[in-house]
Amino acid sequence: MGILKEISELINEGIISKEIAEKIKNYYKNKDDNSANRLFVIFGVLGSILVGLGIILIIAHNWDELSRATKTSFAFIPLIAGQLLAGFSLFKKQNNTAWREASSAFLFFMIGASISLISQIYNIVGNLSGFLLIWMLLAIPLVYIMKSSITSLLYIAAITYYAVESGYSYYHPSLFNYYWILLVLILPNYYLLYKRSPKSNYFTFHNWLIPISLIISLGIISHNFEELLFVAYISLFGLFYLIGNTDFFSNNKLFNNSFKILGSLGTISLLLTFSFEWFWKDLRDPNFILDGVYSSPEFIVSVIISFIAVYLLFKQIKQRNIKPISFVFILFFLIFFLNISYSLSVILINIIVFAIGVLTIREGAGQNHLGILNYGLLVITSLIICRFFDVDLSFIFRGLLFIFVGVGFFVANYLILKKRK
Amino acid sequence: MKNKKIVLIIFILVALVQLYVPAKMIFNREDVLQTGKKYKFRTAPIDPNDPFRGKYITLGFQDARITIKHKEDWERDEPIFVTLYEDEYGFAKIKSILKEKPNSKDDFVKARVGYVSPNWDGFNKIDIDFSFNKLFMEETKAGDAEQIYRENNRFDKANTYALVSIKDGDAVLKDVFIDDVSIKEIVKVKQQTK
Repeated sequence: MGILKEISELINEGIISKEIAEKIKNYYKNKDDNSANRLFVIFGVLGSILVGLGIILIIAHNWDELSRATKTSFAFIPLIAGQLLAGFSLFKKQNNTAWREASSAFLFFMIGASISLISQIYNIVGNLSGFLLIWMLLAIPLVYIMKSSITSLLYIAAITYYAVESGYSYYHPSLFNYYWILLVLILPNYYLLYKRSPKSNYFTFHNWLIPISLIISLGIISHNFEELLFVAYISLFGLFYLIGNTDFFSNNKLFNNSFKILGSLGTISLLLTFSFEWFWKDLRDPNFILDGVYSSPEFIVSVIISFIAVYLLFKQIKQRNIKPISFVFILFFLIFFLNISYSLSVILINIIVFAIGVLTIREGAGQNHLGILNYGLLVITSLIICRFFDVDLSFIFRGLLFIFVGVGFFVANYLILKKRK
Repeated sequence: MKNKKIVLIIFILVALVQLYVPAKMIFNREDVLQTGKKYKFRTAPIDPNDPFRGKYITLGFQDARITIKHKEDWERDEPIFVTLYEDEYGFAKIKSILKEKPNSKDDFVKARVGYVSPNWDGFNKIDIDFSFNKLFMEETKAGDAEQIYRENNRFDKANTYALVSIKDGDAVLKDVFIDDVSIKEIVKVKQQTK
């Protein structure tokens, strides 16, 4: 530790007293302890995940030589071992994060191992989604009893897998998917984490994983009106953006503000898709039937998400904290449902993307922030690249446009860097 | 201290449920195997690796197709009930498919609607996806087993069949036989003589 050497020098020079030196030394000593503990947690969890996966692979070998009775009794060994470890850390090592997290992660995998061993012995094909559902229902209590954040993260990843497996298939017997219940089951833990340790890495990981899971899974609501999914998605991204814009999140580092990043990227990429003519041509096709649109799950979900987003928007307008992307989902809603001609819709979308780009550049320049500035420039560049696919422009004009944007990048960055000096 | 007791009780309860579910799975399957009626399903050639459960061979079935009146009534992946009977050679045949659990005394098995082929030979037909279409094998044996299975299905050697226990709609695949010898045995002999 470099600073400890410096301290003795500072004492000798009479700059700090011995008491202060002692305090500084203690501070760094505690800090060291903390990071050593964190390393312990990371390696403990990694180790137990690896061992868990290894056991699953060994089971997948499928031991033909063993009798069915032997195999079925083996199915319980990994599970019981996991339970004993978890029980031990719950009652003997309660305050040791490494023990709690590692043993919970191990038990999490052992539950899956024992179910898959049984389905192998009895040739139960079932489907992967049924297997995941049972596994997750058996694993969720661990999140709360063991207070294990790793298990919670593994659980979120697995239920997303479940949503994809069960939700995107040919047959939709009912509009309902168990994914939503599984998701609701984990939300109290998310809230507890927010209350207990809003600054922790675990909370940041949840902030990333939960919206990503929602983005992947929202499509399973689709039933008859797939086109309406775009509306649902744009309102979801709008909502994420607004959540990211709340005081709690916007005071964080940008990288930790997952909601803002996902909301912004999602909105822009959807808008770029909508900026093509073909999308609206299909949609405004007279053959496109709108019967029953207003009672479709796609529409209802879009409206619910939008309502929450509008509520947040009003709150933020009151606080005079408004960003250009905040409004996009409302504009899109209007364009989508007002049934204006497809050519006008395309033009409006292009104007919106362009305006977002310009306003973002302005914001970046105002805040003296290179990242935001270049993001705005990137938005405009992507828009121009997209237009190259469907607009018939001469090569000279396209070339000039690219040079113009390229120069724009140089100038804008140069100006900001100069301002900083 | 009291708090700790509650946590202990909850933990034990959860642990018991975690043990109960796999035990129940085993018990149900054992019950079907022991007391269920055994059917031989003639297999057919078809076209693996499961991330959790290892290697298996995929089975296809002869006669797993049935004529239907209206193809609109059936949707892909829809759960159905298939009633069965035994033909004169002792092999399973499909009697009918139903959307609801059958009331008759016929043996039945749960399955799913596979591919719906409109106007196939002048009829609408659907393929039935049985749940017992995978036989899990030891990883060193699965490759050989699949080859043997394919060879024996190729030349119309109808003596390849899957032995399945059926009870109350649940089915458990016991083994696959070629000329009444278990495919596991055949692979074993083949690998020893190599």
